[in-house]
Amino acid sequence: MSRLLIENVSRVFPGVRGGVPTRALEPVSLTVGDNDFVTILGPSGCGKSTLLRMVAGLDVPTTGRILLEQVPVAEPGPDRGMVFQSYTLFPWLTVAENVAFGLREKGVPASERSRVAGEWLDRVGLTAFAQHYPKQLSGGMQQRTAIARALANDPAILLLDEPFGALDNQTRSLMQELLLGIWERDRKTVLFVTHDIEEAIFLASRVVVMSARPGRIKAEVSVELPHPRHYTLKTSPEFSRLKARLTEEIRAEAVLAASH
Amino acid sequence: MKPLAPISNPARIALGILFFVLFFAAWAYATFGGYVSKTFLADPLTMVEEGWLLLTKHGFLGDIAITIWRVVGGFVLAALVAVPLGILMGAYKPIEAFFEPFVSFSRYLPASAFIPLLILWAGIGELQKLLVIFIGSFFQVVLMVAIAVGSVRRDLVEAALTLGARDRGILLRVLIPASAPEIAEILRLVLGWAWTYVIVAELIGSSAGIGHMIIDSQALLATGQIIFGIIVIGVIGLISDFLFKAANRRLFPWSFP
Repeated sequence: MSRLLIENVSRVFPGVRGGVPTRALEPVSLTVGDNDFVTILGPSGCGKSTLLRMVAGLDVPTTGRILLEQVPVAEPGPDRGMVFQSYTLFPWLTVAENVAFGLREKGVPASERSRVAGEWLDRVGLTAFAQHYPKQLSGGMQQRTAIARALANDPAILLLDEPFGALDNQTRSLMQELLLGIWERDRKTVLFVTHDIEEAIFLASRVVVMSARPGRIKAEVSVELPHPRHYTLKTSPEFSRLKARLTEEIRAEAVLAASH
Repeated sequence: MKPLAPISNPARIALGILFFVLFFAAWAYATFGGYVSKTFLADPLTMVEEGWLLLTKHGFLGDIAITIWRVVGGFVLAALVAVPLGILMGAYKPIEAFFEPFVSFSRYLPASAFIPLLILWAGIGELQKLLVIFIGSFFQVVLMVAIAVGSVRRDLVEAALTLGARDRGILLRVLIPASAPEIAEILRLVLGWAWTYVIVAELIGSSAGIGHMIIDSQALLATGQIIFGIIVIGVIGLISDFLFKAANRRLFPWSFP
């Protein structure tokens, strides 16, 4: 069953001071099924983040429509949890209060809030840091908290916009396993934007490759690797084959993007 | 010396004290050495002596108290109106568009220029003094608070929106807490400016206060008293600044390293 339906969605940014309008995204159609983990892979500036922001309701499509569980997306809402590339924890709240933020906005009573927040902190391994402020955490810990904050709200779909882009390689790899572990247990529907080929394959049940600006969908590749996935998978022959194929697809686009 | 290289704490304190030592030495040299006439500038000892007399014989503590009350009173009144208005202007663009041009214009009107008008309207009582402080701080606070609230990180607001926050939630639980430390800093800064207005207000049509004492001393050519008054103002400013900083650190532990 399709949970998220993206139909002919495009985005044109008006020209600045009478300049030419920028076509960030050509009409794109995409369906994300229940419990699907879809990664959108593309070079910088291909409009993949714009697409994700439109799903979140933070940006408005120029044409087309987006339906979540048959309901058109008009504005941001708690049914679409989002994790950003930048660190967006509220610095004035403790880690536990950050995780409970969405529940508070929903009017959930305090005892229930702290129970759910405690559960999620446990799942991302940050129980010991519940009373810390975000500035006392490393980048990886902040993003783990951000994931817990989005999931504590129990959204219909989880949107992630290059959430591990600013982390070092080792931390990034651990974060991928953590996120995948959560998904393997909850089977939450996930839409994940990245420019990292390995990350896209390792996490996804389906990789959507986007072309250079103006962005459109160039290819869809399903990843049939078994779950649970272990980091050693990244050195397996099947993984390498997929990686080689996607590298070819994305390289042509990166060359195009660089020459513009 | 290397640019931006840090210095040790004892060295920092010693250098800070050294300035005052040199300052008083130069002052003493100029006055005791007879290079400056006593009529125009009292020597440091006379200053201390006259200051002591002011405190013990002439009820100067009362003047200090009334000046502090005027500054704090006028400033608190201004802040009570200016901070909410600034928050609304920063959060809601139509409100900003409505008030911003007027506030920007009024900000450049010197509070002291209003004193004659305020004396006509409010007499020479306490209300007039409070109004001078009010005018002097109100517009500054409004504008700076509006900017602080308007420049809250957009991605924090977006994160709150995707977590289900609505208009009220964004205002009360994102914009206000995010800008609170900066608002406190603005108040600390503007309180310093309010001190300059109160003295000006007291120089004209006043029967008490530090400014009044200074104007009286001018008639008596008591330069020692004038300097003592100025130093008292500086010391009070320093103390209030220190208290404000300490309060901010306690209130907003998350925003200090």
